[in-house]
Amino acid sequence: MPRIAGVDIPERKKIRYAMRYVHGIGPKAADDILAEAGIDIDKRASELNDQELSQIASIIDAGYIVEGALRRQVQQHIQRLRDIRSYRGDRHRRGLPVRGQRTKCNARTRKGRKKTVAGKKGVKTH
Amino acid sequence: MSRSLKKGPYVDEKLYIKVQKLSAQNMRTPIKTWARSCTIVPEFVGHTFQVHNGKNFIDVFCTEDMVGHKLGEFSLTRMFRGHTNKKEGIRTRN
Repeated sequence: MPRIAGVDIPERKKIRYAMRYVHGIGPKAADDILAEAGIDIDKRASELNDQELSQIASIIDAGYIVEGALRRQVQQHIQRLRDIRSYRGDRHRRGLPVRGQRTKCNARTRKGRKKTVAGKKGVKTH
Repeated sequence: MSRSLKKGPYVDEKLYIKVQKLSAQNMRTPIKTWARSCTIVPEFVGHTFQVHNGKNFIDVFCTEDMVGHKLGEFSLTRMFRGHTNKKEGIRTRN
């Protein structure tokens, strides 16, 4: 099984799509990397030889932030917003939408599953 | 949408001049301001601003990390005190 950037082991898919299993590599980055390495994008991941794999690895090492390092970077950016006590940091802390969306309804991605409040309109209390 | 780079950051001119005057005298007195949309530039670091939030002036001490943000981001305009408790009809938190 081929390994790219640490622990990721995508296989029978074409390398172009398999690479997207790495956190931080999407459609654009995958194609860019393969073009730079001169690898056919329609090749299957399992068909790559060691030399091609190491080539991909070295390109990622040189110019891309992926996996743990990327996750850490994102967390650091959020932490910075919290530390300077900005509005955005506050929204992260409260688990509410950060970019000015409405919260009267929806916003379930940030707020999580609905919490029913007794006595609110439409809710029957016995 | 973010602001065009061509224009550079928006900085309230009067506020900027005031900061420079204070810096020249090495003074760090708080500056009262309503310019919430003014970007914090490196010159502001170390100064304290009293930023209006529509009601009061909130003290904002500018640190290096705040550069690039707007003054208004640190002077909240809304206060959430928790939801009312229907049965008792009073605020649960104060």
